[in-house]
Amino acid sequence: MQLILQSIFCCCLLAAVAPGVDSAKHDLKRSVWLQRSKRDLSLPALRALENRQFVRPDDVKDNLRPHSSTDISIRAKRSKNSINQSRRSGCSLGTCTVHVLAHRLHDLNNKLKIGNAPVDKINPYGYGRRRRSVPEKVLRLRKDGSGMRMVWSSSNSQSWLHKLEALLRRT
Amino acid sequence: MTASCWTICLFLLGSVTEFIVLASPEVNESQQQHPQNVYHDIGVTRNKIVTAQFECYQKIMKDNSQDRRGPVCNRTWDGWLCWDDTEAGITSEQHCPDYFQDFDPTEMVTKICTESGQWFLHPESNRTWTNFTRCNLHTTEGRRTAMNLFYLALIGHGLSLTSLFISLGIFFHFKSLSCQRITLHKNLFFSFVLNSIITIIWLTAVANNQELVQQNPISCKISQFIHLYIFGCNYFWMLCEGIYLHTLIVVAVFAEKQHLMWYYLLGWGFPLIPATIHAVARSYYYNDNCWISSNTSLLYIIHGPICAAMLVNLFFLLNIVRVLITKLKVTHQAKSSLYMKAVRATLILVPLLGIQYVLLPYKPSGRVSAEIYDYIMHILMHYQGLLVATIFCFFNGEVQAVLRRHWNQYRIQFGSTITQSDALRSASYTASSITEVQGCYSIDGHTEHLNGKNYHDFDNAIIKPENPFA
Repeated sequence: MQLILQSIFCCCLLAAVAPGVDSAKHDLKRSVWLQRSKRDLSLPALRALENRQFVRPDDVKDNLRPHSSTDISIRAKRSKNSINQSRRSGCSLGTCTVHVLAHRLHDLNNKLKIGNAPVDKINPYGYGRRRRSVPEKVLRLRKDGSGMRMVWSSSNSQSWLHKLEALLRRT
Repeated sequence: MTASCWTICLFLLGSVTEFIVLASPEVNESQQQHPQNVYHDIGVTRNKIVTAQFECYQKIMKDNSQDRRGPVCNRTWDGWLCWDDTEAGITSEQHCPDYFQDFDPTEMVTKICTESGQWFLHPESNRTWTNFTRCNLHTTEGRRTAMNLFYLALIGHGLSLTSLFISLGIFFHFKSLSCQRITLHKNLFFSFVLNSIITIIWLTAVANNQELVQQNPISCKISQFIHLYIFGCNYFWMLCEGIYLHTLIVVAVFAEKQHLMWYYLLGWGFPLIPATIHAVARSYYYNDNCWISSNTSLLYIIHGPICAAMLVNLFFLLNIVRVLITKLKVTHQAKSSLYMKAVRATLILVPLLGIQYVLLPYKPSGRVSAEIYDYIMHILMHYQGLLVATIFCFFNGEVQAVLRRHWNQYRIQFGSTITQSDALRSASYTASSITEVQGCYSIDGHTEHLNGKNYHDFDNAIIKPENPFA
């Protein structure tokens, strides 16, 4: 009886140590808050900037120390000419369903995040650009009989550029 | 046992009280700053994006590898995600970021590196483009499924708590039911109760409370530590049940009483080891808010020993069924009755020993099959306490006999002349026959026969119990 228990203890200890060794990865945590000074050079932004320290005490910490990590992991997986449904590094065992559910509830029901991703940044004119510039084409609403129709049109005219600048200032 | 239970109760109550006190005050710091950009508010989303951008630029400047062979797409920040140097002709993909409510982090983002070493340009706009279209394709369904599983868990644990409390009340009230097997059942049921309580608290007060996770107090990490410890206790008490049954049936020559101290040590003491190791490793290597993330392999520190225990229980179950079939063959029973008894024993013991977790070990990768797996596994997990209490307490022949005897005494004492219906009698007989059990006093019978060294009676005593499992 005691021999059985001691064997089980040894097996469980080995099983406990082995995954820990495999999963000891060094995720660096860098929580620095950057402000886009290029866009926020207006007077209210400058006044708000004076209230807030531009370089916080947290920024001076050593960001390369592997003591903590955030959920934002910068990594990419490569697959030769194909799109594989790779799974996230995490627990896939049956007993992990409670933890996966808790994490999923937190992710999907987080009301602190913006509700919807901007559509104009997912469409063909969306993200991946290298630098900011006036887009060659803009999406306009054009009257078409009884309804409205969205049309991509050129944006060469300066008056349209002024309207765009006014719109950007209001948003 | 009582001392350890009270200690755990006090520890749990203290932590829950502290947890509730910390969770009560609401932070009303809703600074209405004027929005200066397209995202229209300064908060979690903007912080996440700016942090990711900063880390990306640090990574771009830090990694200065010049060993390029052939065309390579340069590392870049596309506005939401960071992309490493990618060889030509390869499609790079990452998981979707969790910046927006409608972005599902389990979906994939793809960015194609063409054969000429340039990132993919969208033909419609002739601009470098990353494919984020799958991030919000199935988010509504995913959220609905998550909420369904959430309510399924709450209902399951609620029903389990109700039945387990009734069972524990019966076990503690009737002293004639006190024996080693019932003591093990009490500990297992108590671990089920604690697991249900801490799971309900964790799912409602932490996982669905974004403000708390954002504040990241130490109490929610303590509650996660307690959750993982009680989680381990629950499964290791299933292992204790397996060890006890296996020793009682397969290693039947030891008719002496087993030492319960080893069971307490394995059931309540051993799970502290992986829980502590996980807490230390989590603090050093993946210290996210409230330790809520499941995207880390550190969880195998907890679930590796649990799966090992379930595998041992699977071996115990197979051996118990093998010995049962062997012993029943000696009595020359019909084969159909023989296999029916074996199947019934297997079905009864699967929820007690937690075998379902090794029969459905890994989650499939397809969306529909993963969702079906989620529903099945959540039902098996959250309703296991209800199932175990029903089979091993309400359908237990001894419990029914004791309850019937006390009911008869009650009626005699108060002179009631309520007549029993035949339907109730037949239903009781059917339920009793399902879990035919070895009596608590037959162990003394074993001892008596062994002392007398009467081998004929010894064989009879062994063969008499048909189904000594409950």
